[in-house]
Amino acid sequence: MTTPGGPSTALHRPGTVGEAVAALAAEARAGRPVELLAGGTDLVPALRTGTRPPAAIVALRRVLELRVRGAGADTLTIGAGVTYTELAGWSLSPGLAATSRVVGSVQIRNCGTVGGALGSANPRGDLLTFLTAAQAEVLLTSEDGSRAAGLDDFLSAGRLPGELVTAVRVPRPSGPQTYLKIGGRQAAFPSLVSCALLVDRVRERVCCAVGGVAARPWRVAEAERLAAADVDWSTGTAPAALARRFGELAAAGVRAASPLGEDPRHPLEYRVHAAGVLAARAFARCLTARSAPRRESAP
Amino acid sequence: MTGRARGVGGSVLRPDGLAKAGGTFVYAGDLSAPGMLHARTLRSPHPRARIRRVDTAAALRIPGVAAVVTAVDVPGVATYGLIVADQPVFAATETRYAGEPVAAVAAVDAPTARRALAAVEVEYEPLPPLVDPEVAAGPGAEPLHPDGNVFREITLRHGDPDAVGPVVVEDSYLVGMQDQAFLAPEAALVVPAADGGVDMWLATQWLHSDREQIAACLGLPEELVRLELAGVGGAFGGREDVTLQVHGALLARATGTPVRIAYDRVESFLGHPHRHPARMWFRHTATEAGDLVSVHARIIMDGGAYASSSPAVIANAVTHAAGPYRVPNARLDGLVVRTNNPPCGAMRGFGVPQVTIGHEAQMDRLADRLRMDPVGLRVRNALQPGDVLPTGQVLGPPLPAREAIEAVAARPLPAALTAASPVTARPGGRGAHADLARVRRGVGYALAYKNLLFSEGFDDSSTARARLELDADGRPVATIHSACAEVGQGFVTVAGQIARTELGVDEVVLRPADTGVGSAGSTSASRQTWMSGGAVRGACVAVVDRLLARVARRLGLPPEVVEAPRRALVITGGEIVGAETGTRLTLAEALAEGPVEAEHTFHHRRTTALDAHGQGDPHVAFAAAAHRAVVDVDLDLGLVRVVSMALAQDCGTVLNPLSLRGQVEGGTAQGLGLAVMEELVTVDGVVTNPTLHDYLLPTTADVPALDFVALTYPQPDAPYGVKGVGETPTCTATAAVLAAVRAAVGRDLRRVPVRPGDLVDLADPVDPLGGAPYLGNKAAWGQPGEMERG
Repeated sequence: MTTPGGPSTALHRPGTVGEAVAALAAEARAGRPVELLAGGTDLVPALRTGTRPPAAIVALRRVLELRVRGAGADTLTIGAGVTYTELAGWSLSPGLAATSRVVGSVQIRNCGTVGGALGSANPRGDLLTFLTAAQAEVLLTSEDGSRAAGLDDFLSAGRLPGELVTAVRVPRPSGPQTYLKIGGRQAAFPSLVSCALLVDRVRERVCCAVGGVAARPWRVAEAERLAAADVDWSTGTAPAALARRFGELAAAGVRAASPLGEDPRHPLEYRVHAAGVLAARAFARCLTARSAPRRESAP
Repeated sequence: MTGRARGVGGSVLRPDGLAKAGGTFVYAGDLSAPGMLHARTLRSPHPRARIRRVDTAAALRIPGVAAVVTAVDVPGVATYGLIVADQPVFAATETRYAGEPVAAVAAVDAPTARRALAAVEVEYEPLPPLVDPEVAAGPGAEPLHPDGNVFREITLRHGDPDAVGPVVVEDSYLVGMQDQAFLAPEAALVVPAADGGVDMWLATQWLHSDREQIAACLGLPEELVRLELAGVGGAFGGREDVTLQVHGALLARATGTPVRIAYDRVESFLGHPHRHPARMWFRHTATEAGDLVSVHARIIMDGGAYASSSPAVIANAVTHAAGPYRVPNARLDGLVVRTNNPPCGAMRGFGVPQVTIGHEAQMDRLADRLRMDPVGLRVRNALQPGDVLPTGQVLGPPLPAREAIEAVAARPLPAALTAASPVTARPGGRGAHADLARVRRGVGYALAYKNLLFSEGFDDSSTARARLELDADGRPVATIHSACAEVGQGFVTVAGQIARTELGVDEVVLRPADTGVGSAGSTSASRQTWMSGGAVRGACVAVVDRLLARVARRLGLPPEVVEAPRRALVITGGEIVGAETGTRLTLAEALAEGPVEAEHTFHHRRTTALDAHGQGDPHVAFAAAAHRAVVDVDLDLGLVRVVSMALAQDCGTVLNPLSLRGQVEGGTAQGLGLAVMEELVTVDGVVTNPTLHDYLLPTTADVPALDFVALTYPQPDAPYGVKGVGETPTCTATAAVLAAVRAAVGRDLRRVPVRPGDLVDLADPVDPLGGAPYLGNKAAWGQPGEMERG
């Protein structure tokens, strides 16, 4: 069996974040294109087809520091090496759990990592959409030190040469959260349109992002303002009519965003419509009187 | 189990089943040879371009690159093809589809080969591609190939072409491009031989057709091109055409070294022909009582850049366009066109799934118009043996079409979705969390028939050899040699069953399928159990005759027994017994003086070509099937979940119930896939989704357990009374799911696969046919007089 990238590809297998960023720095200084390998769900197929021929690969599986998740007083920190399977059962974050449960197939969930989702930054990505709604911060480390970047800034600017994503940080949940997505079949599909919604009962607001319509996961600000104003925050509930209105505003909001490239089978018109339906559905799941607050575990 | 229990009629397990399930089965892509080179293919990124220059020098300078071959290196015929040799081994001066091979390289490893591909310099001058078949066939369209842009046009006229009934339904339908998407991509191992020939191990559907085409392109006599079947991981028609065979052979001969040539998933999607996309217009007329009076249809299929099986596919589409119904008057026109889209060819169903989508949608509309039950309308019009088909062919028995539709209609319906059902049982699954109040159930039916074996006068014989002898331990063992390609359909199982039944032995060895024996024909057209099963049976019968005659001679039995030994002697329980002659000896004793061997070539009944009006006796036989689909649709999102599938199918005599079940379940799943998800999408001739990430196949979450009823009337002219079973359920599954979705959402559907956007109310809905109710380009049909709307 040949080496994934070919015999000329250098393979680094660091055991610590320090070793990993040292390897990245060395490759950056040498001016060689380098790929990070974690779960390999994106990189390995690309290596097979030769679409990403790197000079060097930094394999991260041995970096145990990256595979840690934890809770502080106000935040949850999830290491870049944490897999979807690990998140799918995490009771501290029902939204991350709901998102992770519907990512790809069992095999993909067993391999795919948080860092991989940020590295690939697929604009339709499930985790990216949830993290957008959750206002996540991305933690990065290089030989020069560590920094935190807002997700939006990270998606705009990306990693600097020699930087490694070590973790993401999200606020601790303070209300129901959900993640809905649709695609081409009943299970194990890439997201066509998705919606992440988090209710914050402390700050009395709803955060909602739509994936698959705009060029990147899109916060629907008008709809969020409506929710903040009209939800009965003493009970954390809202009438069904408000869910419908929320969906309409979410659709209108995402329609106004710069669109993702045209999909020959699923015109923008449909995806906007679906975004509205999913947003209304997510809102109702988290805020209707009958069932709220609801645990995310599926019936 | 004894020979009898493991003979014909039993659910004998596949000999390769455990290895496949356990991951130890050796597929073509797993083969290797010491010192072998790795080959890869350079493909045109342009759907249509002039090739100004190809320079391989830089690629050849890369260390580890052994050879680069292009069109100038093809020593024999520059083109190949199943029916017409119109496809270049490598594009020389012009590329006609995005993905067309331009060069191939062999190197010490795959990454080096890949780097070499990037170093081959090809100077393209892109030309505007023709991707609309109606435009490509129209007047003034530039010929895309010296053979022109029309692969075949068929004009079928039956009865009174002007007869119409008082009740009329008409519309147009669009079918997208489905891919066979077999799971083991194309692969071959090619070893250059000392005699100047090549030995090749490959995954294919038809060894001898491959050999003929490879030998012609290599400029070698056929006997120097020796092929052996390697493990095949699915085919469904997609391995009927030559893909990498000639490239691998050229590289092996150029380097004098074994070459492994294999496609990755993307290349597999680009490398083989797909199912034809179709645009179809139908007009059905009937009496007020619900008897069909006439069917008019126009079918345009996009054949893509090269002919492949297009001429035969369009004949199937046209001759089956009216469905399994009594239609006294028909005007059925078909056209298959060359474009700069990817080539299309054989896929399970071979032109029939497309027209079934059309004729069954029409039957549902007609039932609505007549206020009749859709099952009742189909029962009323279903063909019966003795009826005359639109080709003028008289339908031979059996064809239980009416029974099939009645049988599925009688199956119990699945329970309704309730709040207690798991969320994964709702349309869209866990992620969509459909609102139960907005989920609507629909039930739909489809009935179809599909021709079996090759048609239009083709004598697609199959040859097999059988040998009966004693093994080293003195036990009788049968050896069967056939070139039949096992692609998953179960010939390896059924051939052993036939040999055990005919020869009365337990031990049967099936030799590898290779070109050392006569052609078995293609593993396609639902033909191998009938044709190669017939060949194996014939060879075994001849072996028995020879053995019994030898025994009769040795025992000094009367000459009339020696002449016709079966009248007096039988093989039973491992013994040769003659009640009248008092004979009783074991098979081992009978074989002690040496092996007995025979070869048999099986032919089906002759058919005829279609005449200028589409009349003739083109099809050997037919099989009918009916599906009932039950779906739930999320009315807000347009997502569909198939809840249940019931199938009643005309199967002939069942040789292996377990194998049969595998075929009908797979056929149903593949048809379901076309209905709701499987589509290879092209934009301006370029495939946009050539991965299993973007080309979705149904999973176990999408395919319900199949409620299956086998209708088992023996086919009189087939061995044991068998019928082919693999294709028929694919034809009906798509149409039944579509009918069920139509029933759920209450709107007529004109496009397959159905898209969620077609099922919901959008502010700005997209008409799949661009608003045109008819296939408009009259000139494309060559007979403007025939194209009037009325």
